[in-house]
Amino acid sequence: MQHKGSNRTYPPAPMSPRLSIYRWHIPMIASIAHRASGMALILFVPFYLWVLHGMTGTPEDFDQAVVLLHSPVGRLALWIADIAVVYHFCNGIRFLTLDAGWCESQQMMRLSARIVLFIALLAALFFGWLLW
Amino acid sequence: MTIRLSGVGIVSDMIHLQIYRYDPEKGGEPTMQSFEVPLTKPGMKLLDALNHIKWNLDGTLTYRRSCGEGVCGSDGMNINGVNGLACITPIAGLKQPIKIRPLPSMGVIRDLVVDMEHFFDQYRSIRPWLQSETPVPEHERLQTPEDRAEIDGSYECVLCGCCTTSCPSWWWNGDRFLGPAALLQADRWIRDSRDEMAGERLDQLEDAFKLYRCHQIMNCMECCPKDLNPTKAIDHIKRTLLARKS
Repeated sequence: MQHKGSNRTYPPAPMSPRLSIYRWHIPMIASIAHRASGMALILFVPFYLWVLHGMTGTPEDFDQAVVLLHSPVGRLALWIADIAVVYHFCNGIRFLTLDAGWCESQQMMRLSARIVLFIALLAALFFGWLLW
Repeated sequence: MTIRLSGVGIVSDMIHLQIYRYDPEKGGEPTMQSFEVPLTKPGMKLLDALNHIKWNLDGTLTYRRSCGEGVCGSDGMNINGVNGLACITPIAGLKQPIKIRPLPSMGVIRDLVVDMEHFFDQYRSIRPWLQSETPVPEHERLQTPEDRAEIDGSYECVLCGCCTTSCPSWWWNGDRFLGPAALLQADRWIRDSRDEMAGERLDQLEDAFKLYRCHQIMNCMECCPKDLNPTKAIDHIKRTLLARKS
């Protein structure tokens, strides 16, 4: 790299650090969690289809599905999917209201992010209690 | 000397800082260098501490600054993980050691000085000036107080780059996503009743990347030193585009 008015050549400029150093504000957590919960829901679809297959297939398939659903892995998958549904739904409504031009003040943007994350926390506790 | 600062009780008389250093003439990896600066006055700002280092401890420390009161937008930097202007950031209330790095996701020229070329190219791309086809009136172009109030919350931008360089969408798609600062200014001209090119401005912005890469992460609104809300401006552009279609 050559700077203006200089004949010297410099090594390529390093890029300043970004994700590794930036502080996570609540609305940023809410947005990233929205992408993460959406991804979790997509990944849950094949699992869900497999469970449906078990429910409608042979008695052996049914038993296999029930055993898996009652195992720690099955419960964990259900728990994560439940939280993801609740969170993605609530935060999706939050994004829609913002798109519609409601609750656009800085305070409301922050408060609504806190509310949806709190609802997800309550959902996590509730489904955890239900599944274990 | 011990100075009592509101909110933090009695603090020691030395401020501990860790500052990102990079010297292109030496090359190598950037490092964090520690400094200690005396707390000289209540209400001391971070820029005062940087100036103290520059003038008394290490003259090679490089950063941009000019007005020293949050108007020129030169001293945008990452302070304890959040972007802000050093000149209007009080030392009191900052967790120590205060970690100071250049604005994120930018080419570092030296220490805290980053290459703003691409940022200003993006700003220029939205044509940030009044465009009008009607003949220039004899006197100024008038605007009602209500129309004037429409651009409150966007004309105040000082183009420091804090918002754009805080945006993860811009970090990853900065070559195509215009970023919060340029979009806030685009909205400012779309809203301006004297501008007659809103349609062309919207045409230019209607793009999956230029505008729609905003994912409402809201780091821009969290860090803006002028307390502006670029997320709101971006949402307004999206709504204006939608209203135009229906």
